[in-house]
Amino acid sequence: MTMNFEQFKEKLLMYGADVRCWPKDIRSSGLKALDSSPELQKLVEDEKRFEEVLKTRKYEEPSRDLAGRIVAAALPKKKKAQRNLGVFFSEVLSEFSLSRRALAAVSVSLIFTLIIGFTIGYSNPSGYASAEQYTTNLEDFLNYEGDVL
Amino acid sequence: MDTKLLHLDDESLICRIQEGSHEAFASLVDRHSNRFYRIAYRLVSNKDDAEDIVQEAFLKLWDRPNLWDPGKRAKFTTWFYRVVINLCFDHRKKKKLINLPEDIAFADENPGPDVLFDMHQKQAVLERFIHELPERQQLAVNLCFYEELSNNEAAQIIGVKVKALQSLVMRAKTTLKYNVKRYLGGGSR
Repeated sequence: MTMNFEQFKEKLLMYGADVRCWPKDIRSSGLKALDSSPELQKLVEDEKRFEEVLKTRKYEEPSRDLAGRIVAAALPKKKKAQRNLGVFFSEVLSEFSLSRRALAAVSVSLIFTLIIGFTIGYSNPSGYASAEQYTTNLEDFLNYEGDVL
Repeated sequence: MDTKLLHLDDESLICRIQEGSHEAFASLVDRHSNRFYRIAYRLVSNKDDAEDIVQEAFLKLWDRPNLWDPGKRAKFTTWFYRVVINLCFDHRKKKKLINLPEDIAFADENPGPDVLFDMHQKQAVLERFIHELPERQQLAVNLCFYEELSNNEAAQIIGVKVKALQSLVMRAKTTLKYNVKRYLGGGSR
């Protein structure tokens, strides 16, 4: 199969200036056409110069620790999730699959119980004994000789 | 790192990641982070941004490994190229314009090839020419010329047929060649 000028020009754009690297099925016809045409040789030289210009494009290598940084960033994500108290509670609650209303009712009743408990505890001084009373009671205890039968 | 993981292909590593293996994730990142950084850098022209995008893409994969569906028969790298490319385009939309140096504004509308540019200016001008191409042409040039991917793989990544990809490459290179010759000298139309 022979290749004309236009076809060669098209393939040149498509596959680049190194005709030896073109796909197998067009490589030999491309090389044959190139050998026989000074015009195509000039075209290839132009293409090579153009590719050289493209290769001057700026490029910065990535940081050496890029992979390490990504791996490290991924690690705490799941660990944090495991340690997070909020997530833990939400998982526990979701286990019981309570509705929002039920959750609110449970929370309110717990708060009321706490308030009532504290109120009773602080308002009833009978549970406390003064130091004087305590000493007296101890003396009584020590002097106790038993009930007279 | 578990040396067994080094011998596993990407798809097997993803399966391990789906089971929660951080080591498999580390192995995959180690294998591919530079490759995906390259395409990200080509699209956003900034080292820090490119690194952040690659990190974001991999962390998405770590958080939701089931996003990659082996049933669709796409190679992991093909699929992940798309993920990274989409993030790059999102990033560019947010930034509106790629920050190119101001010195690439041409004083003369038609300066001809004899205008002297230093290397830094030449690179900036070339970058602008590439970024001015339509998105798919940019991708075609970056994947086929700079990343040296096969036409087949590049076509899959962009989501077009091979013929269409070749057409994209040709149009992109023709425009670039015209601009390069006009402003930088070298090549012919």
